[in-house]
Amino acid sequence: MQAVVLAAGKGRRLWPLTENRPKPMIPVANRPILEHIVDALDAAGAERVVLVVGSNQERVQSHFGNGHDYDLEISYVVQQQQLGTGHALLQAESQVGESFIALNGDRIIESELLERVWDRHVETDDTVMSVTRVDEPSRYGVVELDGRDVATIEEQPIPELTKSDFINAGVYAFSPDIFAAIRRTDSRGEQALTDTLSNLMADQRVRAVQYRGTWLDVSEPWDLLEVNDSLIDREDSTYTPSTTVDDSAVVATAATIGDDVTVHPQAAILPGVTLGDNVSVGPGAVLENAVVLSDATINAGAVLTDCIIGANTTIGPNTTVEGGRTDVVLNDAVYHDVTFGGLLGDNVSIGGNATVEPGTIIGNHATIGSASLVSGRIDDNATVTRG
Amino acid sequence: MCGIAGYIGPGDAGSIVHQGLQNLEYRGYDSVGIALASDDVTVSKTEGEVNELTVPQTENPSTGIGHTRWSTHGEPTTKNAHPHTDCTGDVAVVHNGIIENYDDLKSELRESHIFESDTDTEVIPHLIETHLADDVSLLTAVQRTTQELEGSYAIAVTAAGHDGVVVVREDSPLLLGHSDDATYIGSDATAFIEHTDRVTYLESGDLAHLTDDDVTIYNDGEEVERDTETLDWDADAAGKGGYDHYMLKEIHEQPPALRQAISGRINELATSVDLDVDLPEAYLQSVEEIQIIACGTSYHAGLYAAELLEEHADVRVSVEIASEYTFNGGRDPWRTLVLAITQSGETADTLSALREAKRSGARTLALTNTLGSTVTREADDTVFIRAGPEIGVAATKTFVSQVATVTLLTVYLGQVRDSISTENASELLSSVRDLPGAVQQVLDQEQAIKETAQAYADSDSFFYIGRDAGHPVALESALKLKEISYDHAEGFPAGELKHGPLALVTPNTPVIALLTEQTRPEKTLNNVKEVKSRGAPVIGVSSDPATTSHVDTTFDIPQCGPMEPVVANVALQLFAYYIANEKDRSIDKPRNLAKSVTVE
Repeated sequence: MQAVVLAAGKGRRLWPLTENRPKPMIPVANRPILEHIVDALDAAGAERVVLVVGSNQERVQSHFGNGHDYDLEISYVVQQQQLGTGHALLQAESQVGESFIALNGDRIIESELLERVWDRHVETDDTVMSVTRVDEPSRYGVVELDGRDVATIEEQPIPELTKSDFINAGVYAFSPDIFAAIRRTDSRGEQALTDTLSNLMADQRVRAVQYRGTWLDVSEPWDLLEVNDSLIDREDSTYTPSTTVDDSAVVATAATIGDDVTVHPQAAILPGVTLGDNVSVGPGAVLENAVVLSDATINAGAVLTDCIIGANTTIGPNTTVEGGRTDVVLNDAVYHDVTFGGLLGDNVSIGGNATVEPGTIIGNHATIGSASLVSGRIDDNATVTRG
Repeated sequence: MCGIAGYIGPGDAGSIVHQGLQNLEYRGYDSVGIALASDDVTVSKTEGEVNELTVPQTENPSTGIGHTRWSTHGEPTTKNAHPHTDCTGDVAVVHNGIIENYDDLKSELRESHIFESDTDTEVIPHLIETHLADDVSLLTAVQRTTQELEGSYAIAVTAAGHDGVVVVREDSPLLLGHSDDATYIGSDATAFIEHTDRVTYLESGDLAHLTDDDVTIYNDGEEVERDTETLDWDADAAGKGGYDHYMLKEIHEQPPALRQAISGRINELATSVDLDVDLPEAYLQSVEEIQIIACGTSYHAGLYAAELLEEHADVRVSVEIASEYTFNGGRDPWRTLVLAITQSGETADTLSALREAKRSGARTLALTNTLGSTVTREADDTVFIRAGPEIGVAATKTFVSQVATVTLLTVYLGQVRDSISTENASELLSSVRDLPGAVQQVLDQEQAIKETAQAYADSDSFFYIGRDAGHPVALESALKLKEISYDHAEGFPAGELKHGPLALVTPNTPVIALLTEQTRPEKTLNNVKEVKSRGAPVIGVSSDPATTSHVDTTFDIPQCGPMEPVVANVALQLFAYYIANEKDRSIDKPRNLAKSVTVE
């Protein structure tokens, strides 16, 4: 089986994490989202995987290489401009000569879904699309079914008007004919794969595969905390020999700890925490429901709750991200009552005794002075001082 | 320098050897050839790169040997390419290294043999031919031949009508790979890593007879056993993983390579380092001088190490270019530690200096990237930099990993010698720990560096200046640029500029100034003003906006304490890469250069 994974998506709602890495490379439970997908592909029996990459493609290439570590042959094609999912898929045309699976690189799914979509395609020779049921279908492409076929796909952002609870789960099986169909599609200067599928339905069957398993989407920053929490291995309390945890520190079983991490005396790593490689947690620091990316330094006495800490960020002593439920405004939309302490970008430096109010998003390279109180949205490279 | 690949097994010997040579091309690439043997021997060779070679067409060859060459004796031409054959054309030999007495041998042989090339190698097949005339086995003929050869060599021989391949290792690297049904030969494991990770390192003086189903190794006439080891390199070594060049891939691999270099070696809680060094502590405490021997980029890492060791381990350090090394000056060998730095562990100049040090009675420590390499067997102890395979001829990730590892070594020696305060140790260790994140931050600015590189690509010359730890980084950054872009580039201690090189500075010679921590930027700024008043554009590399107000272009790098100059080097690696790329140079295989220099 061959697969094409669309991994060029920018994921602007996850700013600032997506400035330095494509969305599929955001880690959950210490592995990039895309790695969870690549593992599922391997488990489903894929042999060749083509990754469609775009901005920050180096992050993807450096992580996956030629696929040797995943028992897969991985190659890359570049989507220079973001002109839709169909356009992204079209970049892989030269790499696939036969039927293939296509899927999004930013939704975590199980290998079973891949196998079922593929099997249905092999049985019927038709285009196959997976659908799943979610609580808020209006956030995705809503799919109406006609028996076991897809009847319509439409974007319906108004929750009251959605005609079905099924959404497009983002896993497809295509024959190479799809490329010609994409080229015939024009969605206002772009090429959206769903438009191509809608056009196809006029004269051929598009089969649906209904899926009830794990389907995790990291759309808004707080989703990352939830998805991270759901993927932490609750049984495994071991860490690699390169990690040092002082005897007086507490590390919950429901936490994921990377390589070369140091946890100083009296620190508490409570459930729902992921610490990336080479992270240092200072004496007495307390972390709960937090994702800390690699190379970050958490100094003594810091309290980090319900938050995401970017790579190589430094948190000063006794600084608090208080966490809890709050209303957040993101890209002009208001999200009510979400559990979200904050998102700090990469290479941020926060001094001692600062307080980060719930829902704060801090851009990359920002410098926050000691004893500052910060809230809302702080730009990249900003400097905030007390007063 | 030169690569050997070979295969004995049921597979398609021609294409397996050809692929092996392609993998080895970084060792040399001016001419190439393959010999396949069945009932007779068919040779095909050409000048140029491996992909220009047509694999000889033979029905079911049982064995194949091949060679990619980096010329030492004789021009890079088709006739000088290996394999070389005897007068009958039945014996084919590939060779890496130098036969020192080839002149004498050649004049003796000339009476009854016809030579076709200018190489030292060609005497070998003719000698073998002479011995085979006594109706002995190929093994015996090769054995007798090696008794007549002087020099360093790794050879592989195949002959019509004789079973298998005979290989010999005398100093020059050679190892065997074993899969279930075949045996591979390589100058290093990259030759066959996609087929097997089970290898046998041959030792100097070993002669091995490889047949379809057996490998027998002899040393000094006696049959010997050599261990089979499993490599932990993966076959990714042979692939560019979507990058245009290995060099760019390796530049981007630096954050994980650095994490790997320090992994498990720093105990932050105890402020201590575990490098698994077995040299006795009492000896390390009594050492009065550390002599560092190295070449090229490793030499620059050695200069950096000297800055650190003198300051923190309270010991006199001299850094010697390995090919210039002699043990003299009234040194006490029992109070001298010799540190050999070599990425490949096979650098002939460094190995020869190491042997000189051992002969003089000094103890030796190696710093290398390559498990099982010659230096690891010859030095008293070894510290690995764990950077993973580096294929691009221009060293990048191995330089930063070398510096990170010698920094750990500095803290270790400083603590053993009780010369480093806990505060300084803790500062150095936390700076090393900060390196991967800081380097990633530089990589995230690739686009800005690329644009600057494009803007300056047409300059006449490039001068790099820095003080203290900025000096080795200036030298290393200049070396990178000249290696891959072929532009004239030099590094100088910043204060030295006005004592001569300033005469070369013009408005079309950009000056790149290291203005980071550990480089005394306030002093270097005086030199920046000197060159600016001669109209030269200045690129400053710094983490402190205050120091860069006098420069034309700034590469902003993150603060990283004492390791900041290493972070600056990463920005300048990208600068060199994009200048070379702008000029469409052969970045992974610069002209005249080879990765692993195994001749003196």
